Amino acid sequence: MADGSSVPAGMIASNGPPRASTMKGVARRKSTVAFLLCLPLILLIAGFVVYPAFYALWLSMLNKKMTAFVGLGNFAFLLKRHTFQLVIFQSCLFAVTAVVAKAILGFILAHLMHNIPSGTNQKIWRGLLLVPWVIPLALSTLTWWWMFDPSYSAFNWILNQFGLANVPWLGVGWIARLCTIAVNVWFGTPFFMIMYLAALKSVPEQLYEAASIDGANALQKLFFVTLPMMRNIIAITVLFSLIVTFADFDIVRILTAGGPQDMTHVFATYAFQIGIQSGDIPLGAADSLFMFPILAFAAFFVLRGVTQRSKDIAA
Amino acid sequence: MPKSSAVTRRGAVRLGAAAAALPLVHIRTAGAAGKLNIGFWDHWVPGANDVMQKQVKVWADKNKVDVTADFITSSGGKLALTPAAETQAKAGHDVMTFFNWDVYNYLDHLDPLDDQMKRLIAAHGEVNSVGSYLAKVKGSWAAMPTSSGTQTKPPCARISWFKKHGLDLREMYPAKDEKNALQDSWTWDTFLKYAELAQKDNMTFALGLGSGVLNTDATDTHGALFHAYGAQLVDSSGKSQLKSDNVRAVLEYAQKLLKFYPVDAPSYDDGTNNRALISGKTALIFNPPSAWAVAKRDNRDIAADCWTFPAPKGPKGRFLPMLNFFWGAYKFSPNKSAGKDLIEFLMQRDNIEARCIASEGYDLPPYSKLTDFKVWDVVEPPVGTVFNYPLREASGQLPSLAASEAPPEIAVQIYNRAIHNQMLARLRDGQSIAQVIAWTQEELEGFVR
Amino acid sequence: MSATTMNSGASERAAGRKNSLHRQRLWALWGSYVALAVFAVVFLVPPFYTVVTSLKSSAEISAQVGSPWIVKNPTLENFWYLLTYPNFQTYYLNSVMVTVLTVAFSMIISVLAAFSLSRMGFWGSQLLSTGVFLTYLIPPSLLFIPLFQIVGSIGLINSVWSLVLLYPTLAVPFCTWIMIGYFSSIPKELDEAALIDGASYLQILTKIFIPVAMPGIIAATIFAFTVAWGAFLYPLAYLYTSNQMVLTVGIISDLIRGDVFQWGKIMAACLLASLPPIVIYAFLMDYYVAGLTAGATKG
Repeated sequence: MADGSSVPAGMIASNGPPRASTMKGVARRKSTVAFLLCLPLILLIAGFVVYPAFYALWLSMLNKKMTAFVGLGNFAFLLKRHTFQLVIFQSCLFAVTAVVAKAILGFILAHLMHNIPSGTNQKIWRGLLLVPWVIPLALSTLTWWWMFDPSYSAFNWILNQFGLANVPWLGVGWIARLCTIAVNVWFGTPFFMIMYLAALKSVPEQLYEAASIDGANALQKLFFVTLPMMRNIIAITVLFSLIVTFADFDIVRILTAGGPQDMTHVFATYAFQIGIQSGDIPLGAADSLFMFPILAFAAFFVLRGVTQRSKDIAA
Repeated sequence: MPKSSAVTRRGAVRLGAAAAALPLVHIRTAGAAGKLNIGFWDHWVPGANDVMQKQVKVWADKNKVDVTADFITSSGGKLALTPAAETQAKAGHDVMTFFNWDVYNYLDHLDPLDDQMKRLIAAHGEVNSVGSYLAKVKGSWAAMPTSSGTQTKPPCARISWFKKHGLDLREMYPAKDEKNALQDSWTWDTFLKYAELAQKDNMTFALGLGSGVLNTDATDTHGALFHAYGAQLVDSSGKSQLKSDNVRAVLEYAQKLLKFYPVDAPSYDDGTNNRALISGKTALIFNPPSAWAVAKRDNRDIAADCWTFPAPKGPKGRFLPMLNFFWGAYKFSPNKSAGKDLIEFLMQRDNIEARCIASEGYDLPPYSKLTDFKVWDVVEPPVGTVFNYPLREASGQLPSLAASEAPPEIAVQIYNRAIHNQMLARLRDGQSIAQVIAWTQEELEGFVR
Repeated sequence: MSATTMNSGASERAAGRKNSLHRQRLWALWGSYVALAVFAVVFLVPPFYTVVTSLKSSAEISAQVGSPWIVKNPTLENFWYLLTYPNFQTYYLNSVMVTVLTVAFSMIISVLAAFSLSRMGFWGSQLLSTGVFLTYLIPPSLLFIPLFQIVGSIGLINSVWSLVLLYPTLAVPFCTWIMIGYFSSIPKELDEAALIDGASYLQILTKIFIPVAMPGIIAATIFAFTVAWGAFLYPLAYLYTSNQMVLTVGIISDLIRGDVFQWGKIMAACLLASLPPIVIYAFLMDYYVAGLTAGATKG
């Protein structure tokens, strides 16, 4: 590629600049073409993301029968409900705990993977560890559900072999919460692993050698070489995962559908229950909109990260 | 095919989609006089859908109507979601299946069926009280109570286990209409005694406390229990009755009974009790005969040891949990009169009975004169095991639907949120009756919107 | 990419030089293997259990005796049932159709847009290229309620075509992002030269950009495939009859009948439905991993 690019560079120089008027015409035509090429994307996003988002805002301000405008009434109503307060708490708990766990486990796994010789060997390990992430989540969650089943839990059978009592996996609030988080961690850790592995591989070995010469121990290398070099990718991965985890629907819907006693409901599943299953579309829309401020908070940091990155590229 | 232009456009889109995806069920008759799209409940008993299909075809051929029948599963909330979607879109089926409060939910979109119901009631007798509560609004029938999917959820128990502990279920409730002294002593207090024995025996009654719409078996059971104590959460005028003596009485009783529930009762879904019965790990469940039918396939010895019989009696009566299904014609349907004809045809006695036989007696026609089909006497093993499954007036049972004492718009929320189960789950977690009532009060306030 | 690890391998072989360091590294190596093995076992428990259950007869599952982790009488009846079950075939075909169309649409849309955004530019294109990625901040779980009404109003409720329309919104932003990254790394001189030689933009795209960015295109394709194959919320909310359903919801709706759960068949169905992604990853994992991480690490 480098060879190819040097030739045209010379050609540009020899040809000289075209006349200004044609330049303008070309530029105008070019930007029209450019816009047309983007048009499918713009239409898609505008029609099925931006418009529905604003439509959700409108819906959320109607009454249950969708006949009258109630302003922020639905939001106020929700905030007063004890169940909804639980939903807020659980959504945050679910997302934050799961993302932190995934980030830590992914980091450990990436390091372990980095330690072993690359090549086919590493590929096989990587392939094995990627399996949870490859199976469609809705389907693997069904297996988890069956393993947690109260009448014949495969986990309880193992516990019984060690003389331990049955655990009501999805029957007690806090245990059920942990179970939903565990399934999410199981599913999402491989993603963190491969992102971090790629980042690790991009850290130049010379930096470690230099650190060794300066007498740095392993921990110091981690904190002063590895982590700073990976900062960008960690931030992007964590934030991306935070969005996805926060909006998770599949796991809670299939495992517990919000129970026991609403102790596992998150925004998405609660919106589904009230909006679609109980036919209160405006209240459901209001519920799901509560996700937005929290996501926008994440957005701010993603945006900063992305612009930072593009500045780095420019530099 | 005469129809308005707006419908043609929608119809064309739908038709295109359907053609591409190969509709499973499509009856086409030469020179069809019109098109009809009907959504049935997807029967889990193999072969039951086929009989329905045949009956639809008979009608379609006779009337030269092009009928497409969809069988929609009730699991995953699909059967509840479909009308929600269709009434929003004002397009979809012409006739749809509704259950529980859905008739009320979509009242504005349903065309009255008073003429049809007048004829059906004249032929089949009165609709049971739960059925008319759900479908007859302000004196007008908004939907037609159907046998397809309609079920009761009586106790289904192990004959040998109860016999070992001194109660012969087949003597108490034999496979014939009979009154005896044993029946009078089949009360919730007796039930409590056996629940305790069962737990000691490692045959814990598989009673759930699951949440949402995942565990309606338990919601229905507890609804019947509350009714048996006359305990109303909200009365018909919408006023909270939580502070009433009856509510306190039922909760006091429940405190005793809950000790003998399975440890993981809050994580129950509607399949858990079935699995417990089929694997021989429980002495009693509340369920339609689906659990028994699967046992018949997977574990025949246990099926042969199962007996379905009426619910226990409480101070205020003997209440049988009931789940009602309806057919309704959408107002927006261009061909609703044909649709009404079809469902009336399907609700003729011969057709109902044929479908009952095909479903091994699972379907229950909710009309008072239709409890005399032979199928319930002959289904086995053991012979007569589901004789008591239909709600027979002679048994002195009253139909029960959890929360149905409340105005429908509140009741549906109490039911869908499984408030009864949650109250009991809290009680079992050690909360006091006062705390549970306070929590329920707060929940109920949220429903009045 | 493999240079660093090759180094460590080489240093192991040159053991004589630094004995203590060698021993230390060996320990680290074996420790890593052991730890990885532990993780692998934990990660693979659910898939393993899926396989085990799928080989059991319904009577064996119902009996609930003995270890659930082993199969006493392995049978392929569940698989056989599914393969000859018309509904399951319909779900599979629908899933394949939706996925193929989604991938095709997503790739066309995102390649065109990425080309335009990375090279040509127009008023607001800068905003668009950051804005596209931000669409992920509005997840499906926020959109499914308003979309319910929108999909309904265009007559696509209970139509598998609604998914063909909606799935690209899940895939396109990320695909565009990956493609912008790849296209930006192509030297500007290359296409400027081609332009001056009289090539049209279309030619530049097809003759230069697409071939050069092939790894990125493969990665984006796999991403779109993954999203379309595994999505759950939209089909759950918008599809109702078995002739319209796709695998993710079809399995749940069809094999759980009221209160009758056919676990053996459910697990077999999960395996069959997971097969296409597993096969694709087995062969194209490297591209995917490279594509996924390229954007993030190039900075």
